[in-house]
Amino acid sequence: MTDATVSIPRPARQGSSLFKPDGRVKRRNSAETRFRAYGMTAIVIALMALVWLLYSIFSAGLPAFRQTFVTMPVMLDPAVLDKNGNRDPAELVKVTTVGYSKVLDASFVAAVEAAGIDTGGLTPKDIAGLLSEESAATLRGRVLADPALIGQTIEFTALAGGRIDGYYKGRVTMGSATLDSNVKPEQLMLADALRERGILTQSFNMGFLTMPDASDKRPEAAGLGVAIVGSFYMMIVVLVLSLPIGVAASIYLEEFAPKNRLTDIIEVNIANLAAVPSIVYGILGLAVFINIGGLPQSAPIVGGLVLTLMTLPRIIIPTRAALNAVPPSIRDAALGVGASKLQSVFHHVLPLAMPGILTGMIIGLAQALGETAPLLLIGMVAFVRDFPDALPGGLFDPAAALPVQVYNWTQRGDPGFVERASGAIIVLLAFLLIMNAVAIYLRRKFERRW
Amino acid sequence: MDDMRLAEKAVNAAETKIAARNVQVYYGDSHAIKDVDIDIADRTVTAFIGPSGCGKSTFLRCLNRMNDTIPICRVEGDILLDGEDIYDKRVDPVQLRARIGMVFQKPNPFPKSIYENVAYGPKIHGLARNKAELDGIVESSLRKAALWNEAKDRLSEPGTGLSGGQQQRLCIARAIATSPEVLLMDEPCSALDPIATAQVEELIDELRGQFSVVIVTHSMQQAARVSQRTAFFHLGNLVEFGETGQIFTNPRDPRTESYITGRIG
Repeated sequence: MTDATVSIPRPARQGSSLFKPDGRVKRRNSAETRFRAYGMTAIVIALMALVWLLYSIFSAGLPAFRQTFVTMPVMLDPAVLDKNGNRDPAELVKVTTVGYSKVLDASFVAAVEAAGIDTGGLTPKDIAGLLSEESAATLRGRVLADPALIGQTIEFTALAGGRIDGYYKGRVTMGSATLDSNVKPEQLMLADALRERGILTQSFNMGFLTMPDASDKRPEAAGLGVAIVGSFYMMIVVLVLSLPIGVAASIYLEEFAPKNRLTDIIEVNIANLAAVPSIVYGILGLAVFINIGGLPQSAPIVGGLVLTLMTLPRIIIPTRAALNAVPPSIRDAALGVGASKLQSVFHHVLPLAMPGILTGMIIGLAQALGETAPLLLIGMVAFVRDFPDALPGGLFDPAAALPVQVYNWTQRGDPGFVERASGAIIVLLAFLLIMNAVAIYLRRKFERRW
Repeated sequence: MDDMRLAEKAVNAAETKIAARNVQVYYGDSHAIKDVDIDIADRTVTAFIGPSGCGKSTFLRCLNRMNDTIPICRVEGDILLDGEDIYDKRVDPVQLRARIGMVFQKPNPFPKSIYENVAYGPKIHGLARNKAELDGIVESSLRKAALWNEAKDRLSEPGTGLSGGQQQRLCIARAIATSPEVLLMDEPCSALDPIATAQVEELIDELRGQFSVVIVTHSMQQAARVSQRTAFFHLGNLVEFGETGQIFTNPRDPRTESYITGRIG
């Protein structure tokens, strides 16, 4: 060919040796080195922030899982608890916690005396002050459940008061007790003496996970029971509604819908909905479900419906992405052997998209589990002591929710609630961690190569 | 025209399976296939050749209405399968595709077992009354696709674990499992090595005994080796259609001659 005679000028190179890098290469290499350094710095900063976050949460929250208890024999005096002596449940109910408090306090003072501890001038009322006010209610509940106990002496484990509990968690000291009207240094010394004799002990706090919330004065009795049940009910509502609606909407939009102006508008608006601040959904829920729909406030059904609305676009988007990622050759193959559109989707496309759909679903649920703002507006922030009924009726009973419980406890005055709030965050994080682990597991299980 | 005379000769030589009359295909505004008239004979291999983008694959996909999945694609004219217009309103494309099977350019087995791949078509069309019948269909399809000896001990293993050539033969087995009357092949060997290509070509020749095979190919040698009839497409027109030997040795149209001698393409 004649082209061979056209000479292309060779670029002039500074150094002829490959062993000696020229200036340009050096600059390019140092740019790369700098970029790597920036990246490493960013990762180190992110990791440090994470470690600091976890450290602060766990150091503040772990004590919530340990609690101080006082174990003693309690003489259930029939003269106080059942004056007429006929064990009639209707009459027993009339005896309030004041009566049980008398019985419990007397037994505790007797137990302290029996242990031979010098109470150092504390009045019986001061001694009884070591116990949580919640204990009398616990004792009453136990007796009402089994009236035959009246007249017997039973082994009873009472919650210690919040300050006494705080003393063993470093929140209360002898110094702070002298300034505190709620506790005296002598009471703390008595607690130490009881601890030496094994009457006052510390153990795992199951009640934190099973008991309902408690009033401002009783942080030691506050638990997450109602909040866990409420969150669980809401997640069931979200799952039952958003999985079929979200997946059906995604399949229709991705596989069947004609591509025209209307579907374009729908598509853009789904993306927009995912970005709407969650509190807006709360206002919507308040207006639509409670004011117009007449559903009860604070009920998991309303919370679940609001969270479903919020979660739907966040499920539709990853589900559509997962469907879209299935190679078109699989659809062709199915149609080519004479499968209908529906068969090609359900037999071939959907199974391949399953890992992506499940991951999106669980991440959507995890976001819903941690959502606080919309629940505040529909009354989930209310103080709820009673557990909701079993499903499905329980969906309409008042309940709390985990993130709202955290928010609620951080508003309380007693320092005991700081530890409870952090403990609740740990529980919430544990649930999120479990859900993400399930997502990863399902992803691995359903993942297929093609 | 010469083309018309050749088509008449084809009708005389063998029974016509698919007859296309005045077919136009549009993608939106662009006119992809212009005035195509062709008669595809039964129990014959018909090759479509032509430069890239000439519309041969588009026309092939019209024959079993795979173009229905492309919203902007519009087909005009008549395509008759045994005298029935496949674009008639009463025709369900699902039923049509059971009679006109297709093998694609890239092997695309389902990410399921080899057995499931072959059994899928018969299952959805209800061709087997019980497991034994289904087993029989799977075995005979794999035998026809010359894959039985290699696959019989690994029927439960994923079809995607086979080699490229084996995957393509699995796709052929899957296509013939529904007992189609016509088998469309869209460049079935373009992703295969020479040995696998030779195996598939041999297979195509054997399949001719039972099916009408239409194959789109870029390789003129392949068209010459496997087909009895050849159609040359250029810029959306069917330029020439006739006996393969005549097309390659004595083309009537100067464009055909330019293409097979390598001047256009």
